Amino acid sequence: MYVTSVINIHDLSKKFKSFELDIPSLNIPKGFSTALIGENGAGKSTFINILAGIRLDYKGKIDYFNGEKDEEKIREDTGYTGPGSYFMPHWNISQIAEASTLLFDNFNKEKFFEICSTMGIKLSGVESFSKFSDGMKMKVILANVFARETKMLLLDEPASPLDPLMRERLCEMLREYLDEGNGEKSILFSTHNIADMESVTDYAIIMERGKVVEQGFVEDLKEKYILVKGDINDADKAGSILFSFQKNGYGFEGLCLADDIERLAELDISKEIPSLSQISLAVMKKYTYLSEENL
Amino acid sequence: MRIMQNSGVPIYQQIAGQFREDILTGKYKHGEFLPSIRSLAKDLRISVITTIKAYEELEKQGLVTAVQGKGYYVNAQDSEMLKEQHMRKMEEHLLNAISAAKIAGISNSELIDVLKMLIETEDDSH
Repeated sequence: MYVTSVINIHDLSKKFKSFELDIPSLNIPKGFSTALIGENGAGKSTFINILAGIRLDYKGKIDYFNGEKDEEKIREDTGYTGPGSYFMPHWNISQIAEASTLLFDNFNKEKFFEICSTMGIKLSGVESFSKFSDGMKMKVILANVFARETKMLLLDEPASPLDPLMRERLCEMLREYLDEGNGEKSILFSTHNIADMESVTDYAIIMERGKVVEQGFVEDLKEKYILVKGDINDADKAGSILFSFQKNGYGFEGLCLADDIERLAELDISKEIPSLSQISLAVMKKYTYLSEENL
Repeated sequence: MRIMQNSGVPIYQQIAGQFREDILTGKYKHGEFLPSIRSLAKDLRISVITTIKAYEELEKQGLVTAVQGKGYYVNAQDSEMLKEQHMRKMEEHLLNAISAAKIAGISNSELIDVLKMLIETEDDSH
């Protein structure tokens, strides 16, 4: 499979008092949806903010769209959503539409109204943005970004405030976006709701303590790690081999690196394909800064 | 197309298997393009990488050819391969019949007689 990238990152670093983001090299694949996974404080938002041009106080080099130099163009082609205040609190839907039309050449007002109504947001209301619930706010923010003709979406925790129905709708919108782009449109989103978003995740980047600790196409990760389960009498033997390991009074389970699976040959185990959540959790536990007792 | 989330068979293999069947039974004709990877992902509500992997599997089996930027089209199917395919299916069913006969204590010659009789009635009805 031939894959090009939409963003190339070289020697990216950002130092804080007690935390350092440090990414020597990373490529975000073009034409795919990439999930950024990691615990609170792992550096996901800092990273997305840097990519979106919200934070400029970093060291390193970031290349967009295969060497595009025109910053104006990069901004037009990129859609960003994040938590926090986004629109002026007193704006209503039509004022948001007016402002977005002024901000972006590629903003399609009709499309914005259309997406809003499919999401159940009343267009005629005079209610201001600040009165909306968190879920409603996110819907408006998403409608706003999908109403623009862009080539890349950078979405910081888009699923968190949404209910299960809307999360599914979001997944559909992301897939439609990729389909429309036919290989030219890319998505990077961060999430804690790995299970809900797995069906729209092609590439996963797992971050811990400011570093990328695992990455790959999901199908490849599912071959790299194997979920094994076995009886309690084999637990100690397996524990020394497995990548992640958990036991209870009756048996054990954990992830085994495919490279190590031969070493379990003599044990009576069952093998399964792990989900992306199971892989992410095991990797996060391996690199977390929480101590063992606190897990 | 039916996809089982927890069947133990990887989803890409399930998809590849169903396309394989469709190609071998002639539902997809020689030269015809398979659905685009991203539209298939959208329709099946799965990730793009899963559909790519399924198509790559079909390519490995020699059933389709990838064209950069255009997608995957169905290769001309080798009649030997088709025969082989049906042969395997037939053997599988015969093995089922043999094990059923064993369980019921039916002798081999009785089993063969039944098979002959079935072939005759089937031929008559055509």
